[in-house]
Amino acid sequence: MAEEQESVLQLLPSSAAGGEGLTDVSPETATPEPPSSAAVSPGTEEPAGDTKKKIDILLKAVGDTPIMKTKKWAVERTRTIQGLIDFIKKFLKLVASEQLFIYVNQSFAPSPDQEVGTLYECFGSDGKLVLHYCKSQAWG
Amino acid sequence: MEEDEVFGEKTFQHYCAEFIKHSQQIGDGWEWRMSKDCSDGYMCKTHFKIKNATVVSHPGTSGHGQTCLPLEEALELPSDDFEVTETAAASEVIKYEYHVLYSCSYQVPVLYFRASFLDGRPLTLMDIWEGVHECYKTRLLQGPWDTITQQEHPILGQPFFVLHPCKTNEFMTPILKNSQKINRNVNYITSWLSIVGPVVGLNLPLSYAKATSQDENVD
Repeated sequence: MAEEQESVLQLLPSSAAGGEGLTDVSPETATPEPPSSAAVSPGTEEPAGDTKKKIDILLKAVGDTPIMKTKKWAVERTRTIQGLIDFIKKFLKLVASEQLFIYVNQSFAPSPDQEVGTLYECFGSDGKLVLHYCKSQAWG
Repeated sequence: MEEDEVFGEKTFQHYCAEFIKHSQQIGDGWEWRMSKDCSDGYMCKTHFKIKNATVVSHPGTSGHGQTCLPLEEALELPSDDFEVTETAAASEVIKYEYHVLYSCSYQVPVLYFRASFLDGRPLTLMDIWEGVHECYKTRLLQGPWDTITQQEHPILGQPFFVLHPCKTNEFMTPILKNSQKINRNVNYITSWLSIVGPVVGLNLPLSYAKATSQDENVD
């Protein structure tokens, strides 16, 4: 099942944005997702199951957190919040001492093991799940 | 509601009350307790977990690196991918207590907690640190004394572990500012606990997130 690929990128599990030319993330005014060259990398951790679909996630920055150039991602349902956090941290090149939080409803942080598929069921609308993310030097 | 810069005790109690209301609806076990002279109050919950002494690799889990298996409200985690391969023989039940108190000095809520085996043996600080979720472990172990310390419970006078509140304002402010911007009320306690809870093994069911937006009382 081919997903629309003009503005939807597959979530890469390890190396972030390999070969896409997305280097430094510069803060930009919020624009509707630009049609970026979607280098679709099939690298996934889980075996490609028929029942495992992907869901669309829209990432929005909160506070002083850098805005991701690519905001819309297709993510497998079983991806955990923790996995997503790791990905964004790498993407934004955050250092280890910086913590990143992800919120649903702009106010509630799901636990790290929560799967995005479940969140989509509960909080998704218009075919996507909106997640806000915020970086913080939360501890120390 | 008071200005968001000043999170006073009344505001604290108000949000706790709202939080407990939802807890009661879903049977999440949070209660309100008062001090003997009824001057202070706090929120608390007792929770049991099974900890396996045997360390076995968990291939089927989604990055769940710790040896502590949460015997959790099954509402939360879809257990399809979660294969329990360990036997129950070497497991022990641990009793966790979580208390949410108000800190006058920091003017924020603070999470106190303690854990013990059923025979009363308390868990050590080392046990606690090891039980911290993988994603927080690195940061925590760099400077554990900054974050989890042991202190006397202000009301009970017993030793508890505390998640240090000095950075609370820092991670709460963006949420509060944002909620002002979008003109939506946020339950401070719910948001705060959803963030700090997982660090020490306390995960809030997702329904709390919805409860906040539903029970929007106009102050």
